[in-house]
Amino acid sequence: MTARTPAASAAFERRVRAVFDRHYDRVARRTDRMFAYLMLGTWVASIGLSIWFSPSAWAGKNAVLHAHVYAAIFLGGAITALPVALAFLQPGRPSTRHVIACGQVLWSALLIHLSGGRIETHFHVFGSLAILAFYRDWKVLVLPTLLVAVDHFVRGLFWPESVYGIVTPEWWRFLEHAGWVVFIDVFLFMNCAQSHRDLWEISRSEVEKEDSREQLVRVERLAAIGQLAASVGHELRNPLAAIRNAHTYVEKKVARAPAADPKVVQLLDIMQRELDAAGKIITNLLEFSRPRDPVRTLVPLRPLVQESISIVPERTDVTIVNDVPDDLPVPEIDKDQIRQVFVNLIQNAVEAIPTERPGRVVVRARGGGAESWIVEVADDGSGIDDEALEKIFHPLFSTKVKGTGLGLAVVTAMVERHGATLSVQSHVGTGTTFTLVLPATARADAAAAE
Amino acid sequence: MSETPKRVLLVDDDVSLRASLSANLELEGFEVLEAASAREALSILERESVDVVLTDIRMPERSGVQLFHDLKARFPDIPVVLMTAFTREEERFSAIDRGAYSVLSKPFPTERAVSTLMRALRKPAVLVVDDLDSQASTMAAALESVGLRAQTATDAASAETLVRAGIADVCIVDLVMPTVNGVELLERLRRIDPSIVVLVVTGYDVPDLVRAAAARGAFLCMRKPVEMQALIRQIATARSSA
Repeated sequence: MTARTPAASAAFERRVRAVFDRHYDRVARRTDRMFAYLMLGTWVASIGLSIWFSPSAWAGKNAVLHAHVYAAIFLGGAITALPVALAFLQPGRPSTRHVIACGQVLWSALLIHLSGGRIETHFHVFGSLAILAFYRDWKVLVLPTLLVAVDHFVRGLFWPESVYGIVTPEWWRFLEHAGWVVFIDVFLFMNCAQSHRDLWEISRSEVEKEDSREQLVRVERLAAIGQLAASVGHELRNPLAAIRNAHTYVEKKVARAPAADPKVVQLLDIMQRELDAAGKIITNLLEFSRPRDPVRTLVPLRPLVQESISIVPERTDVTIVNDVPDDLPVPEIDKDQIRQVFVNLIQNAVEAIPTERPGRVVVRARGGGAESWIVEVADDGSGIDDEALEKIFHPLFSTKVKGTGLGLAVVTAMVERHGATLSVQSHVGTGTTFTLVLPATARADAAAAE
Repeated sequence: MSETPKRVLLVDDDVSLRASLSANLELEGFEVLEAASAREALSILERESVDVVLTDIRMPERSGVQLFHDLKARFPDIPVVLMTAFTREEERFSAIDRGAYSVLSKPFPTERAVSTLMRALRKPAVLVVDDLDSQASTMAAALESVGLRAQTATDAASAETLVRAGIADVCIVDLVMPTVNGVELLERLRRIDPSIVVLVVTGYDVPDLVRAAAARGAFLCMRKPVEMQALIRQIATARSSA
């Protein structure tokens, strides 16, 4: 189909999102695990370092471990416990990475405190933010940034030596630190947005590649089927013609001298009907494998629609309305092909109405001449779900029990050869509308020919 | 059919098709001669007089199209109707573009074969009706150049006379003509001969006349300038579609 239906493009976006989600989930889980090990390592290292640098002191007769060692063990443990637990129990969840992000900068705060506000330890904040960018999600950076700011500000006010290493830091120290954090955040945000976009692009191209691979397989399969169909179809036509002739002869003879058994006539009728059906299938196959170019003549649309309606097998509880205006401009089309398009669409519309209730099929048309002709075939049948809608123009796809899946495919080829488009809109439960758009007549002064 | 039955030479390599089709044609009053190949057909034609040839296109050795060309050279007065189970257009058109009467697509109902043969037997012409003689003559000459019979008329009265005389089975009528327009003429011609096929052509944008012509049974409506090859193919299609 030249135009992707709205349903098909929505489905495409859905698939891209699914692939993206799958990719992103992998990224998030991997990063969660990385942070879990990082934090456990930090915990162990901080305990070791605090023992090394802040060994036990003597309190009276007892050797007492310095408070820093307890802080490293218990505060560090508290900071580490929840993120690590979540990383292993609920990996990939947004809540997990936000908790991890907070835990990571809380570690920065603790390390700064344990190292007595060493300015070099502040690098841990920048390192943490940079590593958090592994998540490719700028939102993950928001909470830790705020947490760092609040921590610096509050501790700077009440316990400055714990964060700046001195009792009376300059008043602008907080602003300087905050400024650097914002500075790096801006670039990390950009980095996250960029890699996020890249992941989308990768997902999109993966879906596209998958589609084109499927398309290729389909085209190859169809070419093979087409060749086979053409040769089988032709081979079948000769015997079919002979059977048909033989049937005609027998039927005429029986009509002249009625057989005693009434079943003979009945069976002859069945033969006739099934011969017609077989012939139709073969014709469809041949048209599908060997589409022909349209032979254009001037064909008024309303009578053509009327003719098409009369060809469609009647269903008493389905009303078919020809709402095509009589004074519509006359298009130049291949009458046989466009009639087949209409017959196919109308018959599909009739069959879309559940057998247990009555229904209505309306054929409308507008435009024409200098603008496009727009013909709609609308039914109030059961509608087509999105999944089927996507494949509806694919050859060999059918939801009918007795469908070859060639009808719409043949029709589509005819429509395309007219430079026209066929699209479909459907809502489950309310019905389906097929829209044929025939291009406007582009011609020089018509009177010049006379 | 009346008086002497018409003789059809049926050429097809498929024995079942030959047997079943000839049975039907005989039932419809034809006298049928059968040939299994182009060569056999030609040898029959040396000996027997035949009114019309109905031949399959795809046959071993010489094809039906080649047979048609042979017949055109040696028996130009015998109308030839072809039939084929194949949809390859080149195959169908290779005969039609050189003046074959028509090509039937297998399988076809017997009535279609009968009506097409009956038409072909009349050896009818294509009647071109245009108020401008030059236009009519040019078109007729183009039709004759491929081997079709053609006649011209520049007004309604002479067209009616020719149709009444039964010389034509297909009429090409210009829609926009003074005094009697194409739609009116179409109605009159069809009253004289209901089986006549009328193709209307127009150089003007006259949707009302096009609609009226279609409603009154015009076979089709083509825009001028008419492409001759397309027209010839449409004539052949019309001749086997009634």
